[in-house]
Amino acid sequence: MITEITVDDLPALEAGSQLTCSSAGSTHFDGALANIAELLRERGPVRMVGLDELDGDALCVAIGAIGGFGPMLELPPSGDEAVAAVRALEARLGRRVDAIVSLNASGPNAFAPVAAASALGLPLVDCDGMGRVLPLVSQTTYALAGLPIGPLAAVSLAGDVMVLDTSTARSELLLRSAMQAAGGFMLCATYPSTVDELAKCAIRGSTSRVVEAGRLLLGAPDRATLLAGLASVAGARVLGGGRVVELGHATRTVGARQYPAAPTSVVVAEPGPAGRMIRLEGQSEIFLAVVDGVVSAAVPDVLCLLDQREPHIVGLERVAVGNDVDVLVMPADPMWHSGAGLALAGPRAFGFPVEHPREEGAR
Amino acid sequence: MIRKDVVEQLSVAELVQFGPLGQAKVFAGEELDRQVAGVVLVAELEEIRQCEPHSAVVLHGTAAQGAWALESALRLAWERNASCVIAPADIAVGNPTAQLAERLRVPLFVVADPARHALELSAAVADTDAARARLTARCAVLFGERGTLRDIVGVINTEVPGVQVALIAEDGHVLAGRAAADQASGERRVEVHVPGPDGRPWARLVGQLAAWSPSWSLTVRTVLGLARAPLAACVGRAWLRPVQQSASDRVLLNQLLGENGDAEAARAAGWSVDGTHIAVFLQVREAADLEAAAPRVIAAWQEAFPHLPLIPRGEGWVSWWTGAEGPSALASLLRPYLSATRPLQLAAGVGLAGEGVPGLRRSVDEARLAAAVAGRRDGETVELFGALGPRAVLACIPVSDVAAAARVALADLLAAPDADVLLAALVALLDCAGSTGQAAARLGVHRNTVLSRIERIRARGVDLDSPEQRLALHLACYSLLSAH
Repeated sequence: MITEITVDDLPALEAGSQLTCSSAGSTHFDGALANIAELLRERGPVRMVGLDELDGDALCVAIGAIGGFGPMLELPPSGDEAVAAVRALEARLGRRVDAIVSLNASGPNAFAPVAAASALGLPLVDCDGMGRVLPLVSQTTYALAGLPIGPLAAVSLAGDVMVLDTSTARSELLLRSAMQAAGGFMLCATYPSTVDELAKCAIRGSTSRVVEAGRLLLGAPDRATLLAGLASVAGARVLGGGRVVELGHATRTVGARQYPAAPTSVVVAEPGPAGRMIRLEGQSEIFLAVVDGVVSAAVPDVLCLLDQREPHIVGLERVAVGNDVDVLVMPADPMWHSGAGLALAGPRAFGFPVEHPREEGAR
Repeated sequence: MIRKDVVEQLSVAELVQFGPLGQAKVFAGEELDRQVAGVVLVAELEEIRQCEPHSAVVLHGTAAQGAWALESALRLAWERNASCVIAPADIAVGNPTAQLAERLRVPLFVVADPARHALELSAAVADTDAARARLTARCAVLFGERGTLRDIVGVINTEVPGVQVALIAEDGHVLAGRAAADQASGERRVEVHVPGPDGRPWARLVGQLAAWSPSWSLTVRTVLGLARAPLAACVGRAWLRPVQQSASDRVLLNQLLGENGDAEAARAAGWSVDGTHIAVFLQVREAADLEAAAPRVIAAWQEAFPHLPLIPRGEGWVSWWTGAEGPSALASLLRPYLSATRPLQLAAGVGLAGEGVPGLRRSVDEARLAAAVAGRRDGETVELFGALGPRAVLACIPVSDVAAAARVALADLLAAPDADVLLAALVALLDCAGSTGQAAARLGVHRNTVLSRIERIRARGVDLDSPEQRLALHLACYSLLSAH
């Protein structure tokens, strides 16, 4: 269990944060990270606590950004946007916030809460609400347990502060419109909840897992050690591996038009005459792995591409025909495998009318 | 609804052939011989799990959302032992999908409108008899439009799915089609006899079925039966026209080469009468039935030399080249033709060049003599009169009669235990005009051996020194050796 995040942990945090992105991106956020490093150097390490270490009625808010990677690269967040958001939410709630939790500790949202905790001088709780990247703010175990997303506060890079108090579904729509209008990026403080409320639905140890996975990605001496390490840290297994032979955008999905991305298809061919064909379908993230026509893995389990030569995640935005990759599967938190969990974030939620492999196993 | 017996089903290939899938793009097309029991229109992938085996699975709606759905459908279809999968054309079928179809051996068709195809397929599958009747009718129409053996057999090979057909002559020679068809045996073999234009058995039409059912076998037999008449007519045309023509040519040639050579009629017939001619005479070895051999000889000739008439004359056929290079050039032209008439064995003789009608008359006689010499040899041979010289005279000798007489006249000599050796020595001595030295060299023995053999020949009552006897003796020996 990691008890504090220091400046020296940032590289591992960044590397590990890509693992649970489901290959949503392998972009480096050097500007944002430099700002956070500056914060941590100035204010010292961020204290990380388990939920059990806090009082049951301590108030937590989930910190996470919504938007695209592009705006974050053009105008890197300074790291203290969260102060404005949390202060606005505190004013709305009439109560001080006691600790920061992560909306989802993956991708850039793995380090946004670290910056928030540092800037606010609050402890960071080692948990999150997704255990991976999902496209909607409402696709969380928090929401699954019935916690309301609001009231919530969002801050743009231009300094706009917005407080929103409505249903979870409408919040999603309004927040996304505001984010578009504000330039494509907003840092949000959502799901204001007590520790007791979070205890039953938070995915624990998320940030620690990201850091440990990141250390493996940065430091494992060879592929075997890396894969063994990821298996023990995140339950990752190799679904198959081979060469990328086809990229396409021809997939159509049913109904799922609310997602901010276009369908993408990647085909990995295993070597040799008996090699299987692994077709990966997704949008920003990989949602489905179809091996020789059999749905072998599906969202909300994490599917990602790991370069076979260099230990790094290959994002969908830069995967190319000819890449040699391993296809990794990491099981989602058991909460996601419940009927309600799969309804919210299973393959059908993304327009793929198939059963999750775990549903089939149960049949 | 009457439940159709399993064996009465159409195959995937028949569905392609009969229309519903004819325009579809096909992947894994090697596996078209499966039978189709029914058609299932599938809107959701899960529905494939309920398909009966041997279904044609038609995808639409969410079951056809993209390559991943198509691949899942192929897999499920494979698990249910479906006969084929039919997908809408708006799915781009890439290499990986095509490879999966091939690996699973599930034929995949891509069509513009799957729902409409499902209807047509259902209709075709439900009414097998109608589909097969259409096939038979279609073949009958196409047979009528084709004019060669190869084209007629080709109609069956291209139109009738899952069937390979060959037209095989009575001697086992493949005349047209796919030789592999003849390897079929048992119920997968369908065979009909094809009569020649003379009504006698001429060839067999053999079909190999990839899949068997009683009614399908019957359909194929019907189609093969339908091909018989066009095939016979086709070969009849090739045979009869030249044979009729040659009968009138025979009369014309007699007029031309007769005492008062009538060149005008020949000219009017388009024959080349003026100029330098070299005649060719063909004859069939081993006194075969000339009437029976004529169509094949003439048809093959017309194929090889379409501009030259081949005219029956005596025991063979005559033709001639006008302004040709020379007899030996003609010989090399003729050799491929002689092999083309197998199994008939033909001998050819080529005369010397001659000017005008008299020259042609002489050249024809020379060619006939040369052909007679060629006929004494084995295999297909061409003899040039110019190379024979007076030897040609020998061709006119009735060898078997002379040999019979010689066996009586030289009975003592032939009774000797070493008669063969003595006869060879005698011929050598006569050929060498009595020179024992030359005869020894020719036989490859010492002169003394020849001398001792001469003594033994004399002892058998043969007088070598009488000039009156020598020609008779020489002829007797020649005939005995030739008749051997």
